Amino acid sequence: MPVVQTESLTKIYGDDSHRVYALNNVSLTIEQGEFVAIMGPSGSGKSTLLYLLGGLEGPTNGKICLNGDDLSTLDDDDLSRKRRTEIGFVFQFFNLIPVLTAEENVAIPLILDGVPRSRALQRADEALIQVGLLDRKTHRPAELSGGEQQRVALARALVTNPALILGDEPTGNLDSRSSDEVVQLLRQVVDNGGRTLVLVTHDPRIAAYADRIIFLKDGQIVDENRLKGQASAENIRERLVKIAV
Amino acid sequence: MKTSTWAQMARMAWQYLMRRKLRTTLTTLAIVFGVALIFAMELVLPGVEKALEQSLEAESEGVDLNIASATGDAFDPQPALDTLHNTQGVAAITEVLRRRIILPKTQQLGDITQIELIGVDVATLDQVRTYELRDGRFLENSGEAVVAPDVGKTGDTITVVTAVGLKTFAVVGVLTQGGLTPRVLIHLDEAQTALAQPGLVNLLEIDFEPGVNKDHLTDQIKTALGDDRYLYNASVSDEFAIMDIAYLIFGLFGVIALFLGAFLIFNTFRTVVIERRHDLGMLRAVGATRRQIMQLILIESLLQGVMGTLIGLILGYLMAAGMLEAMKGILDQYMGQFFDIGLLVTPGAFAVPVGLGLLCTLVAGYWPALRAGKTTPLESLRPASGATVQRAANWGLVVGFAVMALALLMLIASTKTTIPGAILFLVGAVIASPGMVMPAARLFNPLLTLWFAREGDLARGNMVRQPGRAAITASTLMIGLATFILIAAIVKGFEQLMSDLVDRSFSSDILVMPTVIGTYSSIVGADEAQVEELRQLPDVEEVAELRHAASTHNGQRLEIYGIDPQVYPDVSPMLFTKGESAQAYGQLNEGRKAILNPVAAVMLGASVGDTVKLITMQGQQPYEVVGIANDLLNLKLATVFISQESLKTDFNKTESIMMMINIESGADTQTVAGQVEDVLREYPQFTIEITSEYRSTLETMVSNNLKIYYGLGLLILIPAALGLLNTLTINVLERTREIGIVRAVGGSRVQVRRMVVAEALLLCTFGAAVGVLVGVVVSYGFISSFSLMGWEVDYVFPVMGIIAAIVIALLLALFSSILPARNAARLDIIRALQYE
Repeated sequence: MPVVQTESLTKIYGDDSHRVYALNNVSLTIEQGEFVAIMGPSGSGKSTLLYLLGGLEGPTNGKICLNGDDLSTLDDDDLSRKRRTEIGFVFQFFNLIPVLTAEENVAIPLILDGVPRSRALQRADEALIQVGLLDRKTHRPAELSGGEQQRVALARALVTNPALILGDEPTGNLDSRSSDEVVQLLRQVVDNGGRTLVLVTHDPRIAAYADRIIFLKDGQIVDENRLKGQASAENIRERLVKIAV
Repeated sequence: MKTSTWAQMARMAWQYLMRRKLRTTLTTLAIVFGVALIFAMELVLPGVEKALEQSLEAESEGVDLNIASATGDAFDPQPALDTLHNTQGVAAITEVLRRRIILPKTQQLGDITQIELIGVDVATLDQVRTYELRDGRFLENSGEAVVAPDVGKTGDTITVVTAVGLKTFAVVGVLTQGGLTPRVLIHLDEAQTALAQPGLVNLLEIDFEPGVNKDHLTDQIKTALGDDRYLYNASVSDEFAIMDIAYLIFGLFGVIALFLGAFLIFNTFRTVVIERRHDLGMLRAVGATRRQIMQLILIESLLQGVMGTLIGLILGYLMAAGMLEAMKGILDQYMGQFFDIGLLVTPGAFAVPVGLGLLCTLVAGYWPALRAGKTTPLESLRPASGATVQRAANWGLVVGFAVMALALLMLIASTKTTIPGAILFLVGAVIASPGMVMPAARLFNPLLTLWFAREGDLARGNMVRQPGRAAITASTLMIGLATFILIAAIVKGFEQLMSDLVDRSFSSDILVMPTVIGTYSSIVGADEAQVEELRQLPDVEEVAELRHAASTHNGQRLEIYGIDPQVYPDVSPMLFTKGESAQAYGQLNEGRKAILNPVAAVMLGASVGDTVKLITMQGQQPYEVVGIANDLLNLKLATVFISQESLKTDFNKTESIMMMINIESGADTQTVAGQVEDVLREYPQFTIEITSEYRSTLETMVSNNLKIYYGLGLLILIPAALGLLNTLTINVLERTREIGIVRAVGGSRVQVRRMVVAEALLLCTFGAAVGVLVGVVVSYGFISSFSLMGWEVDYVFPVMGIIAAIVIALLLALFSSILPARNAARLDIIRALQYE
């Protein structure tokens, strides 16, 4: 069973006088254990697609199934529970709670799910070990570097063992070294943990780590490339330029 | 939500609060003031009340049953005595005539300004109760007195004012207990003479035989005597009425302060929700439900409420202790050194302030929490659209104006709907204010740019960008100022009314005034012989006298005045609101007829032509209402005017407590006043005044007394000032990064400081403008409604109150912006740019 399946997914913003198609009739299937990168010029609908997949907002038309559940049939509480237990998010701006320590930030989804604090912190520590930051667990976000903050955010996305991890430009705010560290970690999660990863990125170097790249333009899928980790960043960049013009 | 989640939410809320210590402190202060006021009231007033009760109980120690007249005045005891002597189980009865007397200045005994003169029947007293003596012996011969320790010592002589002139008594004993008011015990017959009430008493103290069921026997006596004439084991005390007023004033101020505090918390949490959109969005994105987000904000506001309430309780305790210390001096003087008073710390005292404090913060946090819960994860991750904010503000303007229009209709429709109308107008103004921010900013900006050239534009931008926040700050100030203007208008209205009444009430040439005006039960007047002597003076044309008795209606006090309708209108014409004056005065002498003042008319629910039943010494008697009229002496109290003949028949009262004298034309006022003084030389309880001089003294006094209320009005502005300080500080915190950018692109410290001050001034000008408008409408509504309570107060436009309010608003703006402006100017540019 595919982890994600969309049918004729359409998202329109604005009112009758000014309609903007952020997504137009997008159908795609993502299998378990796949690492999919979504690329495209600014305004092509990459982030919108990711937000719809994560149930952060609803489509205007079309259907999204996550692990076989049609998201449109779920109410807000069920969607929240799904985000808590089946999806892990990593954003461009690390979006950590500034008043909590790294460990507490990682534990948040578990605590929201009612896991006792001590157990939640224990699991948070395990996630922090995965991203190599256990020694920084008592630090608050302001005391960590950008790369470290993103690794904490990644640990938070992993802590509930979600089937699907969604990344919205997770390396967009990092230097190249930190970017490599983060994307290698993500690759490991897919390879070793059998999780599914959907990543929005501008960076061909990051996309080159993916198994498949979906190219979007004006809200529609214009190209799709199954790379299986074989394409170089240079190839991807050329493809992107071609699409943009 | 599971306990672990609750605990983590609480932990997170606490960490958020601690991250913004200054803001947390300022917001917490908002609730502190109201809680402190209410807690102080709950601590002090029940203590005072309890002490009063204890003192009253102590006064009748050992007595099984007290019987007083239903009116509190003196009565002929014989019918009751006949019944009681024939009642099985009654062992002994003693008769008492007592009256609290406020001493004229020349007759005060040291620090003591009032005494309770108690006439006791020595022959029967011992069988019912004993007064313990610390020195000397009890009464034996006439002309003797036994007194409270403060009054004198054995061997002294004391002089007491009476209705038949000054009387001197020899002190033969000193009591152990001073009593609520220092007591002076004399023989019953001498007291009856002194108070011009021969043969009358106002208390029967009864001892039951041992083993008798007291409740049963009391019921049996009640049935035999009836309860329309008598009160059993009851004491009608003026002090308790004062306690009610104190409760009301404290409570009102506490509630207004808490209301303003809640406004501030609401404002803070709105800002918190906006400021934390990213954090909240992230929480939603990782799976927090709407309810969990709401709970987070509510827990945070509750934590703030708990802190504010706790500090409020401590402050309230200190306030109460301070108040008690200040009151003790006064109470000792009035109530004797044995009056044991302390703070009454009971669980009940905590209930109201704690409940209100927490409720206020929860209610204030509820809407921001609801709003936080409603935001979708994506809304929180993206910036808010300016158009949405302005659209909401515009809707507010439409709804607010509609509410205000409805309120105006209610104001003009009927006096019964004026107060709800006034309050609704205020609510409408609060709803409309976000929509008024933009036009107000445009309107006042030219003024601002006169002083703050470029910074003014930045300030205006800041204010307009967050109309909701600006509106809440302005509304807080608006409510404070509107309350101030309301008080100013009421003071002005009453000043005008008093002035009219003073002119009317004192139309005679010479006044013979009692020691105090208002508490006539506590003074001793003059008997008929003295008044007759005044009438015989060659240059006196007429003497109108006022006689007084008391009655009750449903437990509330009713003042009864006996006037001579032939002469009273010439010296003190009343202001008739219903009925025709000549006809009403004419009818007064025709049996049981009464003129009511509006307060009494409201209390008795009667109008001209109706018959009211008054509790008299002859039982309930029907009086026909022939007019409704005001005069100065009874403005605040429910008063019934009847003829002196009726007062004598139904209330056993003949003594005059005030005399108004007109002199023959051509006679010299000063000379006649001198003659009057000679006649009354044995009556130091009276002061002789030339009316024209007295009038102006009284007007000044009234106006000075009313000005105290301006002080109370200023107190209400404290939470408003705190609110302003709070918002400005939060504004600076919130815009830390922005201020960093202004500084980074070359803005000087002075410019940043001026920007903050300019914003404060703009906010305050806006708040003051709306506050003045609302203040005028609200005060009009409240003053119109006074007619329901029987006070016809004209609306006097409170020009000085408005000017004062505007000046206060501008001063508040300047003072409250000092600290935030300094903080803003001192920000380190790099740190400000990195601020999250």
